[in-house]
Amino acid sequence: MLTMRSQSIYKVPQGKLLKISLEYNQDNNVIKNIRITGDFFAYPEEAIERMEREINGTLLEKKQLLEKIHSIINVDHIHFIGLDAESLVQGILMCKQ
Amino acid sequence: MKEQWRLLQTGLNTAFSNMAIDQAVLVANSDGMVPPTVRFYGWMPPAISIGYFQSLTDEIDIQACERFGVNYVRRITGGGAVFHEKELTYSIVIPESHIKIPKNIMESYSRICGAIMKGLQYLGIESDYAPINDIVAGGRKISGNAQTRKLQTVLQHGTVLMDVDVDKMFSLLKIPNEKIKDKLIDDVKQRVTSVKHFLGKEMRFTQIAEAMKVGFEEEFQVELIEGMLSTGELTLAKKLEKERFSTIQWNHRR
Repeated sequence: MLTMRSQSIYKVPQGKLLKISLEYNQDNNVIKNIRITGDFFAYPEEAIERMEREINGTLLEKKQLLEKIHSIINVDHIHFIGLDAESLVQGILMCKQ
Repeated sequence: MKEQWRLLQTGLNTAFSNMAIDQAVLVANSDGMVPPTVRFYGWMPPAISIGYFQSLTDEIDIQACERFGVNYVRRITGGGAVFHEKELTYSIVIPESHIKIPKNIMESYSRICGAIMKGLQYLGIESDYAPINDIVAGGRKISGNAQTRKLQTVLQHGTVLMDVDVDKMFSLLKIPNEKIKDKLIDDVKQRVTSVKHFLGKEMRFTQIAEAMKVGFEEEFQVELIEGMLSTGELTLAKKLEKERFSTIQWNHRR
């Protein structure tokens, strides 16, 4: 199993700068580790670390990522400013090589 | 009679102490131990603060900071990296349920920035709120702001730039693409201003603080009464400074 490591920088339209560091399994495209950084705002702040843990194990694919992230946002009542679920998915998919 | 809030003038402190005091005031206010509080402060030595979600090593040239004697600290608020040198920093701590604080976060940014804008007006500087979290004068950024809400309490802190050295700032910050560094520095010089640059003369910290005091009093229709940190706040601030804000675990956590 080959682990791919990559990073992306994505300027959220009308928002902030999102930086993603990603490790994923190249054989099955499953995310192994993610770090979501940038100058955005999220309330409560600590939820971002839960979100990172929850995303691990998700397939690196648009529909599944969007579903997963929307579900985490709903469960943890996360409120983003300068970032949204669609942009998060965009930033993550930009890491796919 | 006007509602009375507390005003803290804590002078110049280290980055670690400054961030610890803001959080200690938040906790004390949440516990009902202290009234809504406005604080004015500065940074000695100069420091870079980064937003809660930023990667320290992505944003800061740590060796350059050490060379220049510049501290660095992670904030509990989101937002971007800020080089704190010649500026007045404010913070406001107030219950989320307070009638003068909009429930909506963006509206509350706008309301609190309104106090800073009134203060700037008092100095002769007309400014506008520039969402998400900036205040601009003559189209250029003069203030950056960041808010968190914890323990049913709002903490917003922000800067009023007194003077700015963009070249020094970029010798301390990392940028994604070194090739465009010169262009980026030129852009930022065009997009940032300061009290000194705007007015063409120096203003003292105390003059700006006095103007901002009036700004808060007018915007929120309150009286700011100068006070001190409580014993509980001082104790908690010392603890947070030592156990959180000055630690590698906190500052390098992302």
